[in-house]
Amino acid sequence: MDPDAARTARESLDLAFHMSNLLDTGLDRHTLSVLIALCDLGLNPEALAALVKELRREPQHSSSPPTYAAPSSLP
Amino acid sequence: MEEEDQQKVSDLIKELVLRLLSQNPTSNPHPIDRNSSEFRNSLRYAVRILSSRMTPSITPDASAIAETIKRRLATQGKSSQALTFAELYTKFTSKTGPGGVNNKWAVLYLLKILAEDRKAAKTQFDSSVLLPNLALNDAQTGINSRVSRSLGSKDKGWKNGVLLVSKDPENRREIAFREFVNLVKEENEVCEEVLVRDVLYACQGIDGKYVKFDKNADGYILSDLVKIPRATRIMVRKLSELGWLFRKVKGYISESMDRFPAEDVGTVGQAFCAALQDELSEYYKLLAVLEAQSMNPIPLVSEKVSSDNYLSLRRLSVWFAEPMVKMRLMAVLVDKCRVLRGGAMAGAIHLHAQHGDPLVHEFMRRLLRRVCSPLFEMVRSWVLEGELEDIFAEFFVVGQPVKAESLWRDGYRLHAGMLPSFISQSLAQRILRTGKSINFLRVCCEDRGWADAATEAAAAAGTTTRRGDLGYGETNALESLVDEAAKRIDKHLLGVMYKQYKFKEHCLAIKRYLLLGQGDFVQYLMDIVGPELSEPANTISTFKLAGLLETAIRSSNAQYDDHDILDRLRVKMMPHGTGDRGWDVFSLEYDARVPLDTVFTESVMARYLRIFNFLWKLRRVEHALIGAWKTMKPNCITSHSFTKLQGAVKLQLLSTLRRCQVLWDDMNHFVTNLQYYIMFEVLEVSWSNFSSEMDVAKDLDDLLAAHEKYLHSIVEKSLLGERSQTLCKSLFVLFDLILRFRSHADRLYEGIQELQASRTMESSLSSREKSKLLRLSSDKASEPGSWISDGRKALTQRAGDFFRSMGQELDAVAKEYSSLLEGFLSQLPVQQHVDLKFLLFRLDFTEFYSRSGPGL
Repeated sequence: MDPDAARTARESLDLAFHMSNLLDTGLDRHTLSVLIALCDLGLNPEALAALVKELRREPQHSSSPPTYAAPSSLP
Repeated sequence: MEEEDQQKVSDLIKELVLRLLSQNPTSNPHPIDRNSSEFRNSLRYAVRILSSRMTPSITPDASAIAETIKRRLATQGKSSQALTFAELYTKFTSKTGPGGVNNKWAVLYLLKILAEDRKAAKTQFDSSVLLPNLALNDAQTGINSRVSRSLGSKDKGWKNGVLLVSKDPENRREIAFREFVNLVKEENEVCEEVLVRDVLYACQGIDGKYVKFDKNADGYILSDLVKIPRATRIMVRKLSELGWLFRKVKGYISESMDRFPAEDVGTVGQAFCAALQDELSEYYKLLAVLEAQSMNPIPLVSEKVSSDNYLSLRRLSVWFAEPMVKMRLMAVLVDKCRVLRGGAMAGAIHLHAQHGDPLVHEFMRRLLRRVCSPLFEMVRSWVLEGELEDIFAEFFVVGQPVKAESLWRDGYRLHAGMLPSFISQSLAQRILRTGKSINFLRVCCEDRGWADAATEAAAAAGTTTRRGDLGYGETNALESLVDEAAKRIDKHLLGVMYKQYKFKEHCLAIKRYLLLGQGDFVQYLMDIVGPELSEPANTISTFKLAGLLETAIRSSNAQYDDHDILDRLRVKMMPHGTGDRGWDVFSLEYDARVPLDTVFTESVMARYLRIFNFLWKLRRVEHALIGAWKTMKPNCITSHSFTKLQGAVKLQLLSTLRRCQVLWDDMNHFVTNLQYYIMFEVLEVSWSNFSSEMDVAKDLDDLLAAHEKYLHSIVEKSLLGERSQTLCKSLFVLFDLILRFRSHADRLYEGIQELQASRTMESSLSSREKSKLLRLSSDKASEPGSWISDGRKALTQRAGDFFRSMGQELDAVAKEYSSLLEGFLSQLPVQQHVDLKFLLFRLDFTEFYSRSGPGL
């Protein structure tokens, strides 16, 4: 990436991080950057949000493994 | 490229999962291993989630999402943050081109959802912290609830048995309120607004839908069939008391108004009704305001209070606190005053006004001011104008039509039943007297000057003679007005009595003529009228006596008296029976016309007459004794003509004469002293007392009282009173005896004269003349006349006989006299009047009687 793009990216990330702090989402910079990248790649933000929510509540979740069907492979 | 992308995606996902797991605060302390089962499980789960939803559910509109976020921030009260966000967003969107975020909307959407979740998660965590038990339970009941919650977080679900109807289940307060509302709806068949409106109707005396007036229970009650909780029922009952009171008061007012045409209700009653109606109109105003408010729906507890005022039963009870007190007062007064009227009603209401509560006090004061205004008006017009405008018999001064002469005494009186309790008895007396004086002046004295006195009085008291200036609560002002008026009117009245009608002069004239004060006049009268009065009563003509009276007046100092007074003096013959002599029926009369006859009434004049009779008798006796004295001149007797008489006869003559003289002295002493006592000790002293009292008298009542006292003292002291009846009788017997003595003495001296005449005649005349004299003297019926016919011896014998008989008679008289006098004197000390002791002292100055008689 050229330095401009990098700068833009950095600034965007800053802004997004600022916004996320305003909204009190509890995301740190790195996670946010990953999420932004995933969103850019076209993933559904709803799904991502659900994932984040679920994974945040990990402790109870992990005590008994949920029974579900075998995960489908990624397309 | 796509594979690259895919690889990127999976890498990123792995990265994300790792980070999230490590981020978890409750995760195990050691770092997550990439290859742990935990990690792999989470990864699998993540992929599953991600693949389940491919398309977003909303339109990719970044600005809309941004707007939503901003609004949410603003409503949360974080307006500064909203502004900051807006700023950031604008900057964010401006970052286009390489390195910029393409799917800005996605980012925003993500952030939004995460923020919401985060917020929700936070509150949930809080509640878990606060309720540790609950958290424990949750942990124990395990994952099921969590799972169900996670599954059904966006849908309706059951939570602890309560149906969740809201999107966010965390608002416990709201849940509780909703629960309450449902409970209320279940318990009450009728909603509170309807009840409030019904109560408002009841308070105006109208039956509402559920609250109706029950004649048996005598109150506004809620039907038992309506399903309403007990608390509400009790409250409705309490508020309906106001309706019951209102009904009572209104009933009284309409009843009174029905009786107006029948003139059964007096002015005070009308004023009372008017005052009650004023209070009720204030009450109606309040009710109108409350009714307007009752139209607003009563908000539920959970909702915010709108700006309109609403009306619930509780609020109503607060509003009604003051009207309840007032209405209760009015109902009590209505009960009390149902049978009363006029001043009695005002007095009863006044008694209720003695209350410490300032609200009650103020209310009663207002009410009483209106109620008492007709009464005060009546007082004012009575005191300043003497007018009694009392159609309904409510005033405490009652007048009755009487003749002019008894106007003062009987024309007006106080009616104690109508006297209100805030007017004292003495004030009422003064009011009565003032009005009476004005009427008296107007009717009897035909005087117009009292009106000036009245206006003066009003000006002095600070009010005017117009209506409506005095009111209740200003009893002091009333009192001062009455005082001023009384002072001036009384002064005016007394001035009129003294100057115009010469009251004092008339009293003096009565004293001079009726009470025989004018000595020379009485003497002349007695001289002239005396012989006339010895005749039997039915032969005497009043006319002649009147003429004789005139003569007597003219020949004494009385002629210089005022003509008006002399005109009023008349002769009066009392009703007589047969055998009465003129002396018994003769009397003088004084004609006192209006207005003086208020003082000199019939009964008063009758008493004067009695005194006159007594004094006249006394005078007559005195007159008789003086007459006897005139004949008892010693020179006529001890003339040399008697020296030729024989010694024995001479001795007899002398002794008889002596006895006569002694008796005369005795009687004279008695009569003189009695006369003196009556004239000076009784009459003059009483007169001077009366005179001084007349000078200090302030009004006609005082004058009347003074005159009464004057007369009474005269009557008492001159032995005419009831206590001295026996004394009086013995006195009259004494008088009769004295008169008898007079006739004896007359006869004696006549006889001596005859003797003397016969002796001189014998010595100087021839027989022929003697016989002539004999014939002349034979016309006389008395025995001594026939002496001349006999010789000297016979003459001496006759003289002896005569003197003996006279001596005996005189002895008899003397004995009787002394016994009677003793009796009289013995009764004197027993009398209680102090002055009679003085009489005794005078009579028995030398203690002659007390030494001679054992009784004294």
